[in-house]
Amino acid sequence: MTGRDRFHPDVQRYLDGEHVEGVAQRDIEEADRFAKAVLEYGASAEAPDARVDAAVMEVVRARVSQREGSFWQWLVQPNLVRIRPALMAAASIALVASGAALVSLLPRTSPTVADAVPTVLVRFELRAPEAMRVTVTGSFDQWSGDRVELQQNTATGVWSGTIPLTPGRHEYSFVIDGERWLPDPMAHAQVDDGFGQVNSVIVVGPRGVVRS
Amino acid sequence: MMQRLHILPMLGLLSVLTLAAAPAGAQEPGIAAQLVARGAPADFADRVAQIVASARAEALPTEPLEFKAQEGWAKRSRVPPERVLAVLQQLVGRLEQGRDVLRDAGLDASGPVVVGAAEALGRSLTPEQIRDVVRSAPDPAAAGTGLTVAASLAAQGLPAAAAARAVSDAYRSGRGPEEILEFPSTIADATARGERMVDIGQRIMQGGMLSSPGGSMGGAGTGGQGGRPPGMPGSKQGTKTQTNKP
Repeated sequence: MTGRDRFHPDVQRYLDGEHVEGVAQRDIEEADRFAKAVLEYGASAEAPDARVDAAVMEVVRARVSQREGSFWQWLVQPNLVRIRPALMAAASIALVASGAALVSLLPRTSPTVADAVPTVLVRFELRAPEAMRVTVTGSFDQWSGDRVELQQNTATGVWSGTIPLTPGRHEYSFVIDGERWLPDPMAHAQVDDGFGQVNSVIVVGPRGVVRS
Repeated sequence: MMQRLHILPMLGLLSVLTLAAAPAGAQEPGIAAQLVARGAPADFADRVAQIVASARAEALPTEPLEFKAQEGWAKRSRVPPERVLAVLQQLVGRLEQGRDVLRDAGLDASGPVVVGAAEALGRSLTPEQIRDVVRSAPDPAAAGTGLTVAASLAAQGLPAAAAARAVSDAYRSGRGPEEILEFPSTIADATARGERMVDIGQRIMQGGMLSSPGGSMGGAGTGGQGGRPPGMPGSKQGTKTQTNKP
């Protein structure tokens, strides 16, 4: 019986055994004939063969057992889910935002000093016995001015420090006591910085800057 | 409305979105924010940012501009902000020239190559010498490295023609950029032993090739032992840079 030829709701209630008034006699007779036919069909139908039932259940149990037994199979086999598109979008936004927040919490350093790989260690030295403080700054530390401080050997007056640099060209300068900018006389080259002063240049190869 | 979706593609999509968000989260703050964080006035930082943005809009590499702005601000005790802005504009012009030298010849004009071309122009390499270096390189990244090295060799005092020839000959002989990067040290090594730049340049132009530091000129056969470099402890003043891989 399809949706189109269903009984009227009152007739349906009559078939369900409820007391209903106002139903046409013609409809009651038709409903009675339908109920009688259903009962006759049920009485004539044979019970399913027990062997068929057992065979079907064996297959079902085997499949269930197979799924439960392998996490990998569960993981790789297609699984149908039902999800609201709005919920999916909200979850995506939340995940992206949390990922960005996590990454932003990671410690940051100069991309040319520590982030890039590979780097080589470059040792800077300057003899300046009269200086109170010496730093080296350049493109490798985004010209911070004071981030890379050299250590003094008080016996020799030589300030030195070793920092990791990426292979390539770097411009830099020493800064004495935070105010006097001094080029490195032992750099590969000295170039005009455009500001009326001089920057030192080193070109770092994969093996480093080997001077001897 | 409910839809059925495969869970694995969904997880893949979410992973891609998360990974895509990571670089955004990892980005350094803009140049204006960096300068302000270092104490620069907001109007100066904004004008720097405008120059950088206009360069980016022209598809020019912006890293040299940002470095130069940072350098200018670091030297603020001697350099007024207006001078920094003027230098930035000059640098934009040089980057444009470098890009045009490459584009006019139909060569790759990606960021590293343009930066290298601008540096080379600043060291008096001719457009044809620049193009020759680019054509000799195995790939754009190597071209950028080659131009940067050629510019550095010229800055060391090597004639521009010899500087370009040293790089292009090396590439054409199958050597890689990691070897090219050693050339400035080779030249420094040779001059520390008393060789003259003009002589080194002549040998390069005659087909002699630079080798690793200490070996000086392959083919020219100068050789010799590496001397104690100036700047070592005991010398008057200077930096010795000697490196090992960390």
